[in-house]
Amino acid sequence: MSLVQVIIEAFRSLAANRLRSALTMLGIIIGIASVVLMLSVGDSVRKFIDKELAVLGSNQLIVQPGTPVEGGARRRQGDAITLTIDDAIALNELPSLRGAAATRQGFFQVLYGTDNSNSVVLGVTPEMFRLRNWVIDRGVTLSDSDVKSANRVIVIGSKIADQYFYHRDPIGQSVRIEGRPFTVIGVLAGSGRTLDGTDLGDLLVVPINALPLRMPLPRAVHYINVQAKDEHTLAEAELDVKELLRDRHRITADKQDDFQVTNLASIAQTGETIGAGLSIGLGVVGAISLIVGGIGIMNIMLVSVSERVREIGIRMAIGAKPHHVLMQFLSEAVALCVVGGAIGVGLAVLGALAVNTTGKFTLILGPGHIVTAVVFSTVIGLFFGFYPARRASKMLPIECLRQD
Amino acid sequence: MSPGPQLDALISLAGITKSYRVGDIVTPVLHGIDMQVRRGEYVALMGPSGSGKSTLMNLLGLLDRSDAGRYLLNGQNVTRFSASEQAQMRNRTIGFVFQSFNLLKRMSVLENVALPLIYAGASRGKAKERAQDLLQRVGLGALGSRMPNQLSGGQQQRVAIARALVNNPPLLLADEPTGNLDTHTTEEVLQILAQLNHAEGLTIVIVTHEPDVAKHAKRLVRLKDGVMVFDGAPGAEAYA
Repeated sequence: MSLVQVIIEAFRSLAANRLRSALTMLGIIIGIASVVLMLSVGDSVRKFIDKELAVLGSNQLIVQPGTPVEGGARRRQGDAITLTIDDAIALNELPSLRGAAATRQGFFQVLYGTDNSNSVVLGVTPEMFRLRNWVIDRGVTLSDSDVKSANRVIVIGSKIADQYFYHRDPIGQSVRIEGRPFTVIGVLAGSGRTLDGTDLGDLLVVPINALPLRMPLPRAVHYINVQAKDEHTLAEAELDVKELLRDRHRITADKQDDFQVTNLASIAQTGETIGAGLSIGLGVVGAISLIVGGIGIMNIMLVSVSERVREIGIRMAIGAKPHHVLMQFLSEAVALCVVGGAIGVGLAVLGALAVNTTGKFTLILGPGHIVTAVVFSTVIGLFFGFYPARRASKMLPIECLRQD
Repeated sequence: MSPGPQLDALISLAGITKSYRVGDIVTPVLHGIDMQVRRGEYVALMGPSGSGKSTLMNLLGLLDRSDAGRYLLNGQNVTRFSASEQAQMRNRTIGFVFQSFNLLKRMSVLENVALPLIYAGASRGKAKERAQDLLQRVGLGALGSRMPNQLSGGQQQRVAIARALVNNPPLLLADEPTGNLDTHTTEEVLQILAQLNHAEGLTIVIVTHEPDVAKHAKRLVRLKDGVMVFDGAPGAEAYA
């Protein structure tokens, strides 16, 4: 008996009880849909985080001024300006680090033509471009001499370039910040939100000394970006940074740090944890409905076997061997599950499309997810269909034929 | 003891016993049946209800297992065959015709006839071709695409005969084949059986309680209370 014949008979028999088959499939449909979505959400969250991390630059530490205690009261963070450009330069020399860059930032009136806005402008040292993986699309990046001589030059994000200089070459144009002219020397490639909330395309970056900002100390900075060599040396790098800064700030062993180090990897870790949590939650729902669906399949197959005892008897009388009967009922169970699985995959695709049209998040559905779903539903069909099918195949022909 | 199997015996039973157990109560049905059926014979099996004729028929058809005794079918000792070997034997060596036709409702007439070939491993195309030939032979060549319930009782039984013969078995077992048919169609079906026996040498064993049906056979075996009480020509019974 050929496989084609077995499959044709299975589908014909399911078609004879359409409503029952559809209801039986429901559990499998829901189960497979949630399993596929679960796989998709897990992968998508991971991809999302990887992408964001790549924009931000991985293995980053951010060093901020600490929360100084003055007269017993803890003051607002950042009030004390304890970090300086010289700290950044010293950190940049540490062999365990890939580099360190100082940053100042503030809101400024930015003017080009009639476009007048109040925007964040970053003042950085040139290492920042390397640490954050900022790529120059057109023009050049900031140089050490730009920083040394506080040149009024600016590198802008791609969105700003489109907004200000629509279709014109922005290089060499002039933008006014707090009334002072800055010459555009470069445009950054790419756009998109980074984990720290800024959009790559909206960046306005100038040499750190050129930022028209009055700091309490001339060399003070708002924060220092530090990048470790790789994820394995991240913890070691954090210790080195602390040791160096305590040393430079002459903090004795009994005093607390006057700065704090934030590990961006731990933020990413939180994102991963949320993704994994979502996956597990949906996975449990999927697994439960798959088990319930599978039990439903088993139940219906048992009913089907007892309804068709006479048919089994006739088939045995004309030469069906036990394995023929086993295959017949097993293939019906598998057909139920595979069709249910296919519908479930269809639902998952619709769900993913619905999520993607909101534009807030992109769910990726790949062939891997679909193959997993098909394999899963086949296995469920085989597992839950086996007992009823085996029972059918073990019956004695005469006992089947005696039934009405 | 029983004589050894004859050379041309298709069926050879020796000391076959069978009893049914319901709870603790054991009801013996067959008490040591010895019987031979040669190739080409047409045997009618008769007896009152409870005589064991149906049980004997089921044992002959390998639909049931005896408690003791030996059964040789077509030269093979089938007494201790596995379920799978029995199925193979039923498929190749035995054709069944039942009182209630036992066609599969969801399949067309042609597919019903072709099914034993499918189980024998034939391709769909070959099986349908052969099934069409058989339908032609029972005079239903034009009805292959119908469903069984669109046919009259007599037509359904002719389909069942076509199905029984599709694998060209040497033995046909018919259990009250005319029990659900009217006089006219009974005659038609019996004509076909007689023709198959006469022209093609098909060995037929038929269970019936109607003397008119048994008359068509060349040999009559009568059972009572699980033992054979008569074995001879149908007309000779009155003198036994």
